[in-house]
Amino acid sequence: MVMKNVKNVNFWQVNHKIKNIFERRGVKVLPSPKAWEKFNWVRKILKEKPKEGYFIWVKKTINLPLEACVSIASLKISQNLTNLLVIEKGIKAKVNAVCNATKNNLYATHKAKGKLILKEGVFLEYNHIHKWGEKDFVSPDYEFVLEKNSRLIYNYQNLFPPENLELKTAIHSEKNASSNLNFVINSLNSKIKIKDTVFLEGKNSQTVVRLKLVGRKNSQIEAMSQIFAEAPGKGHLDCQGLLVDKTAKISLIPQLVCQNKEAQITHEASIGKISEEELTYLRMRGLTEKEAIDLIVAGFLEK
Amino acid sequence: MGKILLKIEKLKVRVNEKDILNGVNLRIKGGEIQALLGPNASGKSTLVQVILGNPKYKIFEGKIFFGEKEITKFSPEKRVKLGMALAWQNPPQIKGVKFSELLEKISILKGSTSKYRFREVEPQLLEREVNVGFSGGEKKIAELLQILSLNPKLVIFDEIDSGLDIKRLAMVAKIIKKELVDKGVSVLLITHLGQILQFLKPNLTNIMVNGKIICKESDFRKVLRTIKKYGYEKCKKCKFLAG
Repeated sequence: MVMKNVKNVNFWQVNHKIKNIFERRGVKVLPSPKAWEKFNWVRKILKEKPKEGYFIWVKKTINLPLEACVSIASLKISQNLTNLLVIEKGIKAKVNAVCNATKNNLYATHKAKGKLILKEGVFLEYNHIHKWGEKDFVSPDYEFVLEKNSRLIYNYQNLFPPENLELKTAIHSEKNASSNLNFVINSLNSKIKIKDTVFLEGKNSQTVVRLKLVGRKNSQIEAMSQIFAEAPGKGHLDCQGLLVDKTAKISLIPQLVCQNKEAQITHEASIGKISEEELTYLRMRGLTEKEAIDLIVAGFLEK
Repeated sequence: MGKILLKIEKLKVRVNEKDILNGVNLRIKGGEIQALLGPNASGKSTLVQVILGNPKYKIFEGKIFFGEKEITKFSPEKRVKLGMALAWQNPPQIKGVKFSELLEKISILKGSTSKYRFREVEPQLLEREVNVGFSGGEKKIAELLQILSLNPKLVIFDEIDSGLDIKRLAMVAKIIKKELVDKGVSVLLITHLGQILQFLKPNLTNIMVNGKIICKESDFRKVLRTIKKYGYEKCKKCKFLAG
């Protein structure tokens, strides 16, 4: 996903500098430290004053997607962001958030703590796109609160992995709230740790979590995917790994914890390698081995 | 008929200690249509995979030439670049990749502009994942469409006639004739039952038994008649066995 027109990006930060803030009718956008100073209720959610990051408060349904972009463009920048997204009752919204390094060897650090609150009856599609350089350290830690009858579609995509990625995601689901989480992560010379946890706290809360992980050269991926069913809810985990290189390692740890006898939670996990037959087939169509692998991997991540 | 395009000399291939090909000799000229018949497990599919360079098979004796070049050790993609193509008998599924995407990739690589044809034949295949849920007939059509995008000099069709109803078989044969044979492309038809031969009339029909070509006959009707009447057992006992 490319931000086509930066002037329409609702929040745009490069290194530590805010380049643009663009508010729409019914949408308040501020740097998160300013929001913390301005609103008493924000101080109740965020205990400490943020150093940097965005605050987006959606009070009316808007038809266009909201866009946030946080980039690193200089050597050895260390970002420490706190982001807050609050969507008021019954609103339908779409957010595209892009975090990236503009160059490959910036040795940058991007730490982000995010809290996203979906009030009653909200529908949110949140597309979280990461694109990093091969020497970066990235650690996003996002917590979603899904109030009753709200619905979340969360797509996290990281096709250009950093050297180190520690990705944490927690979802709290109240009555009738549902979430659909899709993590698509590629690795190359990377060390990746993923922990996603969904708490089914309210009656009839639901979740489907899908992880697709690709282990390329010199990579280690460790993914722990959990569902805690505290109420009679439903959940399913689907973790799939594809090992592309013999120097790669993927560990998948799906965990289901059921504390309610009426809850129904399931999981499936698999790790496979690229089929030699598929590879040969594509090479017999004129693709080089590398082109064939790239096409098969793209297909795996797509399907 | 042109010069010799494909030449295979005394080819021997062993898989898991078992001899699959026992010294195959084959020559195909430019613009020629040949057929290769044989019972199940006679080594036909192994032979064509070896001709295209499938790394699964190790050649321990013999040589393959394409045009002037010896290609015995060439990678599959290098062979394709030289103008060889194979339509698979059972092509694998490539999940998540649209058929149109693959065709586009092939066309870009080969600089071919044959994409317009796809819309005429089976346009509904374009949006589907490669070979995923394709019927037997759809797989064959999909293979043919890819072959056309490759702009080949020699095409090997591995059982293109199996799983095709008579209407589709006639259509496939018509396309092969118009787009390949009439343009001087050499064709090797691997067939078990020989239905496609009625449409494409090969110049030479080879019989393969136990990993060896044991018969070469210019009258394909004679071969089909004999096999229909006596099976391949008669070929094994034939006193005119080819070398």
